[in-house]
Amino acid sequence: MRRFLILIFVLLTVAVLLSPASASAQERPSAEAVVAAAYRVSHYSGNDMRARVLMRLISKGGGERIREMIMLRLDREDGGEQKYFLYFLQPGDVRDMTFMVWKHPQRDDERWLFIPAIKLVRRIAANDKRSSFVGSDFSYEDVSGREVEEDDHTFVREETRNGRPVFVIRSVPKDDKSSDFSYRLAWIDKENSVLWQEEYYDKRSQLYRVFTADEVKQVEGQWTAVKRTMKNVQNGHRTEVTFVEMDYNVGLDDSLFSERYLQNPPARWIR
Amino acid sequence: MLTVILTVAFALAFPKIKIDTDPENMLREDEPIREFHRNVKRDFGIEELIVLGVVREDGIFQKDSLEKIRRITDQVLTIEGVIADDVVSLTVTNNVVARDGALHVRPPMLFVPETPEEVERLRKEVLDNPLFRDRLVSSDGRGAVIYIPIESKEIAHEVGEKIEAIYQKEQGPEKYYVGGLPVAEDTFGYEMFVQMAILAPLTGLLLMVVLFAIFRRVSLVIPPMLVAMLSVIWTMGALIGSGFTVHIMSSMIPVFLMPIAICETVHILSDFHEKLPTSPGRREALLGVFDELLKPLFFAPITTAIGFADLALADIPPVRVFGLFIAFGIVVAWLLSMTFLPAAMMLIRERKPITRKETGSRILAKLGQLSLGKSMSVTVAAAVLLAVAVYGISLLVVNDNPVKWFKEQHPIRVADRELNKLIGGTYISYLVLEGETEDDIKRPEVMGYIEGLQRYLEGDPLVGKTTSVADVAKRINYVLHDEDKKYEVLPEDKNTIGQYLFLFQMSSAPDELDNLADYSFKKANIWVQLKSGDNRDMTSVVKSVEDYVKARPLPEGLKMQWSGLPYLNITWQGLMVTGMLKATVGTWWVVFALMILQFRSFWWGTVGMLPLAFSVIFIYGLIGFMGKEYDMPIAVCSTLALGLGDDFAIHFIERFRHRFRETRDLSQAMHSTMGGEPALAIFRNALVIGLGFTPLVLATLTPYVTVGLFFGSLAFFAGVVTLAFLPALIGTFRKVLLK
Repeated sequence: MRRFLILIFVLLTVAVLLSPASASAQERPSAEAVVAAAYRVSHYSGNDMRARVLMRLISKGGGERIREMIMLRLDREDGGEQKYFLYFLQPGDVRDMTFMVWKHPQRDDERWLFIPAIKLVRRIAANDKRSSFVGSDFSYEDVSGREVEEDDHTFVREETRNGRPVFVIRSVPKDDKSSDFSYRLAWIDKENSVLWQEEYYDKRSQLYRVFTADEVKQVEGQWTAVKRTMKNVQNGHRTEVTFVEMDYNVGLDDSLFSERYLQNPPARWIR
Repeated sequence: MLTVILTVAFALAFPKIKIDTDPENMLREDEPIREFHRNVKRDFGIEELIVLGVVREDGIFQKDSLEKIRRITDQVLTIEGVIADDVVSLTVTNNVVARDGALHVRPPMLFVPETPEEVERLRKEVLDNPLFRDRLVSSDGRGAVIYIPIESKEIAHEVGEKIEAIYQKEQGPEKYYVGGLPVAEDTFGYEMFVQMAILAPLTGLLLMVVLFAIFRRVSLVIPPMLVAMLSVIWTMGALIGSGFTVHIMSSMIPVFLMPIAICETVHILSDFHEKLPTSPGRREALLGVFDELLKPLFFAPITTAIGFADLALADIPPVRVFGLFIAFGIVVAWLLSMTFLPAAMMLIRERKPITRKETGSRILAKLGQLSLGKSMSVTVAAAVLLAVAVYGISLLVVNDNPVKWFKEQHPIRVADRELNKLIGGTYISYLVLEGETEDDIKRPEVMGYIEGLQRYLEGDPLVGKTTSVADVAKRINYVLHDEDKKYEVLPEDKNTIGQYLFLFQMSSAPDELDNLADYSFKKANIWVQLKSGDNRDMTSVVKSVEDYVKARPLPEGLKMQWSGLPYLNITWQGLMVTGMLKATVGTWWVVFALMILQFRSFWWGTVGMLPLAFSVIFIYGLIGFMGKEYDMPIAVCSTLALGLGDDFAIHFIERFRHRFRETRDLSQAMHSTMGGEPALAIFRNALVIGLGFTPLVLATLTPYVTVGLFFGSLAFFAGVVTLAFLPALIGTFRKVLLK
């Protein structure tokens, strides 16, 4: 009997030591590091980027609005200052409209809009990163990233998502007023740091927005979600974004991101 | 025993009860107007709205009040069932303004202003914006409003109570009002439960008291009450058990059934009372009763039942259910009167046997003599009265308003009054313009037409506020030009309009423009806020828009159509008035045919219909003279007349003719009818019903009050017509009737 108990004890110990959970626990990076890696992969791949973006806004009732635009992005440094330039191709009556964002990590962004019908550039105040990005279900923060230090991150579990091993991480805002969500859950690829899914829970702790990476592939060696969806599960509205042409390190110049080019978009990049 | 088992079985269905107070369900699910309403809601992302008003007499633009609005909005967003993203409030709804050369897109009160200057700036900002003024803030600055969209109408009352709990935590001079049609409709359902639970038993109790006053014996009161209660339980059990929802109409089944069921038993008891002293025993007395009454006791309820069952042919779903189950209940009551009632009467052992012979009423006998004696003048007088009543009917105003189903002082009515004083109106209708292709509504002439129509509508005192996509285009034009009044106009070309609207969409939440334009800009939706929920007022607005369109035709390729709850309400009201009228008239023909059949005489059939027809015409005439509006409860009541009027007439005529056949003498037969048990039973029934339903007048919901008053006057009129007028009529037309 005693020998039997010892045997069981030994077997259990071996099982615990060999279990994948304890194995990875020893080499597992911190939750914060995982989120930071995902932040870079999602928002800072390459030094610059050019893409033709197809955006479909779909209402609960099935109504659909299409936006098509050229998006240019230039990073000053990884995780730091960034500039975005948008040129609208569709809908037809807004062709030639341009939009520019200077993203500043520590303070309010700067935004400008050019309205071709009256040939006017207007600065747009940007005191709320949570507001909708060009009328979609994505917020400015979703597009350009929420800074890692704004939240506390903890591991929830490890599992497989889309056939890939992922960490599930829970992030809670340090300052409750800085966000619409009370917490969010992120499914981040253990190997390539791709964000596969993210769920936002509102102040009632009810799920309200779900992000999914629907198609992920390597572009110039960078893992990129070329198709992604943000769905508001409470009002049934969703936005699907597809990057049709996508290139990193195309050699954008900082001078492009200026008021002059807002009015006369650089033909080379918007063709 | 069988009765007990069946009762338990039917009662078991009760917990499954489903309440449905949506007047929309007066219309068939596939009614085109409902279909269109669903499409409008889908195309424009429109939800059911609860409206919360915060009022402060010396102005809402004070720091502490604004803080409260912020606190309340924050908490409202956390209520389950509230579509938080679509809540409209000063603290969450974006405003587009130009400040220091930049466009600002943010809620006017993202932060509560600290200094008086900041408060003043906020006040100016929101009152300056036509998209906010009279919608989110009253133009006099007294109050602010929060629009709270909810997932479905069925939770409106529950959410309303949670909102109340939130604002009740606040102290201070502010007053709070919760309104909107969904709250009214859903609260009605909730209170309906309460009223059913209080008033139905109270009615039963009073009926018992009246019965006791008449018969002076508990043993004669219990059995009819049991019959009434059992038939109510069986019917409601069957209704709920078979999966039907309890609609406003079917909730009245208990109060409709009770008098009809009791009528039968009162005839039996009266006759029993009359026969018992001369009979060797109870059994013999009962047999005697059934011998004499079998025919009227069969024909009266069956006629009524068939009449109600005929409502199943009506085009209004709840009316069908109502008719069928009332018919079912009447058959149950009849079966119980025939089986359970005598059984119960046999079971009850009296300590004091009934010895005094009931002789009928001398007053009633006199009345009969008088009526018969001056039959010609009574007939003429009745005809004159009838003509006056018909004139009264011509004065009837058809109007309904779910909010008016609550009494004047009810919080819902108070909130309704205050909110509609405050803002442009809580009754939101939609006027949809539909073009042929995408972007059609961006055409400048379409935008111009929409704006012209809006200004015209706002000239109507019934309309408080209109909002459209044209307002948005104007607003962006104004803001882009640094809020220069010169630019508070519509842009002149389609591309500019397109870019302005795009700018608005870009700068707001994804669905902010959806309420006003569909996704492809093929359709525009003008929000028309009315200050009154009266169907009559909505009808008048619809009419005035028709006139406008006639004078200025719509731009080419455009169609226009109304939608929204107030418009749906006038649609079902139309159906209710014409539909109920048709259904009622239909049942009358059936009842008429049945009367002819059972009396085997066309003329007696006609006479049998008269108490019914007269009472209804008198009552409607009276309603017309009183200026009371013809609404849904009144329409429903017309069918009730069936249940009482024909019962009185059938019993009177059957038993008069029974007596006449025995004596072949008009005045003697009339004397024994009027002076004897038949007239007394009818008189008692009129008394039971007239008094028994007075508790309904105390109800907090006006439809129940209406039914109560209607019952009373109906019993009165049907009784008077039967007892005072039928003898005269029989006298006048004796040649035809008494061959």
